Amino acid sequence: MSAGHTPPQRLVERYRSEIFSYLMRILQHRADAEDVCQEVLMRAYREVSGLRPDTNLRAWLYRVATNMAFNALRQRKRRWAHEAREEGRSKIRWSPSPYLRVQLRELVQAVDRLPRRQRAALIQRHFQGLAYRDIAASLGCTEAAARANVYQAVKRLRDAVVDES
Amino acid sequence: MGCATMKQRELDLIASLLDDVEPRAATRRWLATQEGRRELMAYRHILRLLGRAYAGPSTARLFPVVYYSALRTPIGRVFVAATDVGLVRVAFRETETAFAAELRRRLRAEVTTSARKLAPAVRQLDAYFRGRRRTFDLPLDLRDLTPFQRRVLQATRDVPLGKVVSYGEIARRVDCPRGSRAVGQALGRNPIPIVIPCHRIVAGGGGLGGYTGGLPIKRTLLQLEGALAG
Repeated sequence: MSAGHTPPQRLVERYRSEIFSYLMRILQHRADAEDVCQEVLMRAYREVSGLRPDTNLRAWLYRVATNMAFNALRQRKRRWAHEAREEGRSKIRWSPSPYLRVQLRELVQAVDRLPRRQRAALIQRHFQGLAYRDIAASLGCTEAAARANVYQAVKRLRDAVVDES
Repeated sequence: MGCATMKQRELDLIASLLDDVEPRAATRRWLATQEGRRELMAYRHILRLLGRAYAGPSTARLFPVVYYSALRTPIGRVFVAATDVGLVRVAFRETETAFAAELRRRLRAEVTTSARKLAPAVRQLDAYFRGRRRTFDLPLDLRDLTPFQRRVLQATRDVPLGKVVSYGEIARRVDCPRGSRAVGQALGRNPIPIVIPCHRIVAGGGGLGGYTGGLPIKRTLLQLEGALAG
């Protein structure tokens, strides 16, 4: 952690918008992302003072957010999978080209089918701009494994979406 | 790990597209073949689609209103700007008109002055210049930057006051060990200097390196922080 005397709760607050944008990308649903973000921050407020001083706070927040987001996804699947999907889809600005539209839909479905570690790693790397060191800390794996998860995710998406013709 | 089944050059291609890494010679040769070109295009296409699907709202909607204010410091007048998310610009050696115009143009936002919205940033910067503050505790808005720039700036933010770190070391910390120059460029475009202390990143050989705000200011800031003899 970089700040010397900043109270830990204030440090957590610094990451609020970043964690929210991450949750939006995983959950594709604003209200869900807001709820989970609130839960993540509340847990962080409670536990942050007890963390070891050398804890990578950002990675720790990503870890908590990833776990809570995938829990929320599981529950949502059970309760109201259908509506959530419809609303999630509508967030994407569809291209007027029908071909692109099909590909975008295939891509989003392929992302949904990625194993959760690959999906989390890909979003953390490509959109949240995390270093592999931080991704590894948030997923509890080695840097090499974090890197492999991201590359494997991209490879799968490529195979799922782009046809060979 | 499923990775073992992946061809090395395909991995290398993904790394080059995703992580700004120069591909190996063998991969470059493959990319010159028809198959290689097709794969390159396929992967570029996937990353573009991903960007479309997940990158979030357009810049125009990201920054509806940007507020700005200014303060007097030993390095002259410093302008600060923030969105509702966080601090988005710090600038010096610039006129108010040029500063506001840049905000309007780059962020496509409505620009307005607000001492109240910028009060925490102004207070903390003022304390910093008086030697009464060592770290900044301000939310930042880095949404208009590329993932690589954000990684570089995040690593830079972790360099504490009183210390300096080389471009090469930052490159290593963002998984781009041969990327000192790319790091230099990303720092040269740091939209929030001082608060993101790019002045603490110096040349590997002991030289100061560059500074968009001018080397005398970099020297002044490092002297102020005690990282450089006065």
